[in-house]
Amino acid sequence: MSADLDTGPAAVPRVGPPRASLPRPDDVPAVDVARASDGGARIVAVAIALVWHTAIGLPALLEAWSELAAPAVVGAGWLVVAATGGYAGVRLLRGARPPVLPLVAVLLAVDAAVFAACGREQLFTAANWVWGTLGWFFVVVLWGRRLPWLLALLAAHSLIALAALLEHGATAPADLTRYAMYVYGTASLPTAVFAGAAVIAALARERAEAAAATLAVAAERDAAERARQERRAGLALVSGAAEAVLAELADGRADPADPLVQRRCVLAAARLRRLIAESDDVPDPLLHELRAAADLAERNGLPIELVAIGTPPPLPVEVRRRLVDPPTAALAEAGGWARLTVVAGPDEVVVSLVTPEVDGTGATGPPGHVEDDGQVEHVQERDGEIRWTQTRWRRT
Amino acid sequence: MDADPVAQDVSADRPVGVAIVDDHPVVIDGVRAWLACEPRLRVLATGDDPDQVLADAPDADVVLLDLRLHGRMVIDKLAELSAAGRRVVVYSEHTDPATMLAALDAGAAAFLAKHEGREHCVATVLAAASDRPYVPPALAGAMVGDPRPDRPALSDKEREALLLWFQSMSKASVARRMRISEHTVKQYVDRARIKYTRAGRPAATKAALLARAIEDGLVRPEEIGIYRSQAAADRPTP
Repeated sequence: MSADLDTGPAAVPRVGPPRASLPRPDDVPAVDVARASDGGARIVAVAIALVWHTAIGLPALLEAWSELAAPAVVGAGWLVVAATGGYAGVRLLRGARPPVLPLVAVLLAVDAAVFAACGREQLFTAANWVWGTLGWFFVVVLWGRRLPWLLALLAAHSLIALAALLEHGATAPADLTRYAMYVYGTASLPTAVFAGAAVIAALARERAEAAAATLAVAAERDAAERARQERRAGLALVSGAAEAVLAELADGRADPADPLVQRRCVLAAARLRRLIAESDDVPDPLLHELRAAADLAERNGLPIELVAIGTPPPLPVEVRRRLVDPPTAALAEAGGWARLTVVAGPDEVVVSLVTPEVDGTGATGPPGHVEDDGQVEHVQERDGEIRWTQTRWRRT
Repeated sequence: MDADPVAQDVSADRPVGVAIVDDHPVVIDGVRAWLACEPRLRVLATGDDPDQVLADAPDADVVLLDLRLHGRMVIDKLAELSAAGRRVVVYSEHTDPATMLAALDAGAAAFLAKHEGREHCVATVLAAASDRPYVPPALAGAMVGDPRPDRPALSDKEREALLLWFQSMSKASVARRMRISEHTVKQYVDRARIKYTRAGRPAATKAALLARAIEDGLVRPEEIGIYRSQAAADRPTP
C-alpha cells in the first residue's frame, strides 16, 4: 500500500515546490486548508497513542508485574514513553512538530531496554507493551514527516525485537511465525493511519488550490467583462460625439468649408477630448476636464481664460459630465474670447462660460433658459452683450 | 469694462496723487500710461522701495503697491502702510485667492490683478482715494470662494452678485440676470467688501472704508456691530 507513497506527497506541510527542509510557506492559502484538515488527524493520532498506552499497555504491565524479569526497567520504560508521548502530543496539538531525532533515540532505547527486561516468558504477552504501543508513538513523533521515516523506524523496532528473540533464544519456528505476525500486526495499522492522514491532507490542499484557482479565473473573467463593457460604453459615447459628422464628411454630404460643419467638428473634438480626460486618473478630475476643453479651444485660436477658485469635492462622473458638457458645447460656438470660471466649495460647484455675442451664429436657446435635473442646474442666457452658460451642482 | 467713476467725490482742482511701487520699470511705465489717461489722477513718485517713494511723495493719496518686490512678498510692509493710514491698492500677478484675501486682511484698500486692465485700475485708484470700496472680478471670486471658517457672513444676494460679477465681468449682465438694477448689483458687491473690513487685524484704512460706507448709506451702523469701536479708535473719517 505504501509503494506509491514512498516517493509521493507523504507529509502534510510539504506544499508548493518540493523543498528538502520542509519549510512552511505561510503565504499559500492552501496551506491553511491543509493545516486545518490535518488538525483533526493529529488529535486522533495522539489520542490513539495515549489511550493505547494507558488502557491496554498499563493494565497488562501491572498484571504481569511479578512475572517480568526486570519489572522496574519495564515500568520505567513505560513512564519514559508516556512522558515522551505527552510532550510530543502537546507540541503536535499546538501546531508545532516535535524534535524528531532525540525523541526517536529515546523511544528506540526504551524499546531495546524493555525487550531485554521483560524476559523470555513475557516476550509475546501484552506485558511486553512496546510491541503494540510503540508504533503509535512513532506516528506521533514523526507526524508531518515523510513516510520512509516511519518505515525505517518500524524496521528498527522489528530488528530490536528480532535481536531480543535471538537473545532470549526464542528461535523455534513457532516463535518466528509469531514474530512475523506481531511485526505485521503492530506495523500495519500505524502505517495506514500515518499514510492516510498524509493523503487526506494532500487532497484537501489540492482541493483548496483548485478552488482558489477557479475563483481567480472567475474574478479575472469578471474584470475583463467589466473593462469590456466600460470600453463599449466609452466607444458609444465617442460615436455619439463624432460619428455623424465624420460619416457626413466621408460621404461628401457635409462640406468642410461650411462654418456649421466646422463648428460641429469643433464640438465633436471637444467632446472627444473631454472623454479622454474623463478617464485620466488625476487628483482634480473636474478641473482636468475643463482644462482639456480650454486647451482645445485655445489651440483652435480662441483666447480663453480659465480661472478656478476652490477645490471641488469628489464628484461622480455623471455629475462631472453635466457640469462640463454645456460649457464645452458652448465653447465650440464661441468667438472672440471666452472666460471659463469654476467656483468650488464642499457643497457647491459652479462652472460658467462667458463669451461675447457674435453675430451670424444660430441661436442655441431662449434667453434665460434653465434646466434643472435635480443634480445639476444649467442656465443658458444671451443678453445681447454676452452669452452666458452656467452649470451649478449643489449637494442635496 | 464696468468701471465705476467716482468723479463727484474727487475735487476737480486737486487731482488724486498716486505713488507707484514696483520693481519692474516697464510695469511702472505701463501703469503710469494707464493713469495718465485719467485727468483726475496724477502720478507723484515711482520706484522700487516703498519708503523711498513715500519720502519723495509724502502727500500721495493712493499707493499702488506691487505685492512682490525683489522676489519677496511684502505683506508685512502692506500692513505697516495700512496701519499708518496709507490707502494701498495692491496689484499683483499673484491672483490666488489666499493671497488676495491676505492682502485685504492686511488692510489693502483694494486688490487688483495685473491682467485686469486700465479701466479697473483707474476705477480702483479713484475709489480708494475716497475710501470707497472697489471690487474687481478677480477679488470678487476670491471673496465668494473664501474657504476660511471665520470668513464674513455674506447674504445670499451678496454671494450671488459676487459670483456673477466674477463670472461675467459685466455688472449690466449681472443686473439683467438677477433682475435688479446695476446700482443694486454694485451695492451688493460693495457691501460684501465692507464686511471684509472686520477680517484680519484692524487698520486705519479699514476704519476709513467703514466710516465712508456708513456715511454713504451702504451699511447701517447697527449692521456693523463690532466694527464701531475700531472705527472710533483708529481714525476719524477723513
